[in-house]
Amino acid sequence: MDIFTILFWVIAVVLFIVSLVKSKETTISAMKKSRDMMGSMIGEIIAIIFMIGLVLTFIPPETIKTVLGTSNIYFSTVISALVGSITLIPAFVAFPLVGSLVDVGASIVPAVAFLTTLTMVGIVTFPLEKKEFGTKFAVMRNLFSFGFAIIIALLMGVVI
Amino acid sequence: MKIITIIKKNKLIVLMLVVYLILFIVSPEKAVQSLDNSIYYLIEMFQILPVIFLFTVVIEALIPKELIMQGFGEKSGIKGNLFSLLLGSISAGPIYAAFPISKMLLKKGASVTNIVIILSAWAVIKVPMLANEVKFLGVKFMGIRWIFTVISIFVMAHLIGVFVKKKDMSESITEKEGSILSIKEEYCIGCGLCAKTLPVYYEMKNNKAIIKQIPINKNEMEDMVEMVERCPVNAIVFYRTVEEEII
Repeated sequence: MDIFTILFWVIAVVLFIVSLVKSKETTISAMKKSRDMMGSMIGEIIAIIFMIGLVLTFIPPETIKTVLGTSNIYFSTVISALVGSITLIPAFVAFPLVGSLVDVGASIVPAVAFLTTLTMVGIVTFPLEKKEFGTKFAVMRNLFSFGFAIIIALLMGVVI
Repeated sequence: MKIITIIKKNKLIVLMLVVYLILFIVSPEKAVQSLDNSIYYLIEMFQILPVIFLFTVVIEALIPKELIMQGFGEKSGIKGNLFSLLLGSISAGPIYAAFPISKMLLKKGASVTNIVIILSAWAVIKVPMLANEVKFLGVKFMGIRWIFTVISIFVMAHLIGVFVKKKDMSESITEKEGSILSIKEEYCIGCGLCAKTLPVYYEMKNNKAIIKQIPINKNEMEDMVEMVERCPVNAIVFYRTVEEEII
């Protein structure tokens, strides 16, 4: 385990003990709630990780490097942002997925665009958002989020 | 019948199982290689998964959300913006899980800008997820993305606040939502918590919770309110104000 993981473990365990000491009841009911939420995702998480294994075996790193790395970065960024907008996978599994692609040489610019639109823009959940907040709000929020996702991605490319 | 529902519920993992099985027959070498690759990421994932779980629990148990929720009206200014950011960051679940709670806040007087901040922060900057990001993409990546994202959220929220006024949303805000107790089917994840806790009022049908009976006396109300708060996706709608009239 790397240093940050160990650090997170320590913080998490300490806070958890504090929470238990403060109120055992609230902590246990919070545990039940999180367990229900995460439990429904665990199958999907494992499945996607096995998919990563396949991708890394069958798509040679050089291909990933050219398509998501050295070739037209603007094009691949917009495409990644679009893919992120229509996919509905938990952010949870998006990190190992994106991490694995960056590990073999994908550029971080499309990676960031994908990560941001994945969670902020929701084509699939659009009808729901429209129903709750009205068409104008839903359209605006999704369009702006898409635009800013690309801006954040490009800025990240400059800084890192 | 039962097997079919299990397969339906775990479509992706069944698909992967089939793919790997075929691969083992066609090209065992590639299959082993894929398995090796996967196991590496699987181990990494399981190192961080308990941390995410613990963070989610601790945030839920230790932070008084009600207190934060009082902090953002139309004139709450920068403090309201920060409170919104905080509320979004400490919440769990995908963005659509934020819709019911945001709508409730909107009705209670939160500004459009603050609603955009809550929704966006809820989507991208979840505290437990930051640990996950550091694990797979590094601390520098996470830190810089966080800064850019927070700035973008504020700019975007204020822009939308200029373009979209509450009256544009009035129709969806004032609409009547049916009876005093109802379940928003599109949000229900079928966890069965309500049916397990209060089997008198809720039951599961086709993997969604449905209402069996509406509570009438005061003691039942208390249980009901507690249940509404426990629903992991806030899919249960319950009007306490109407309750007084009924009694």
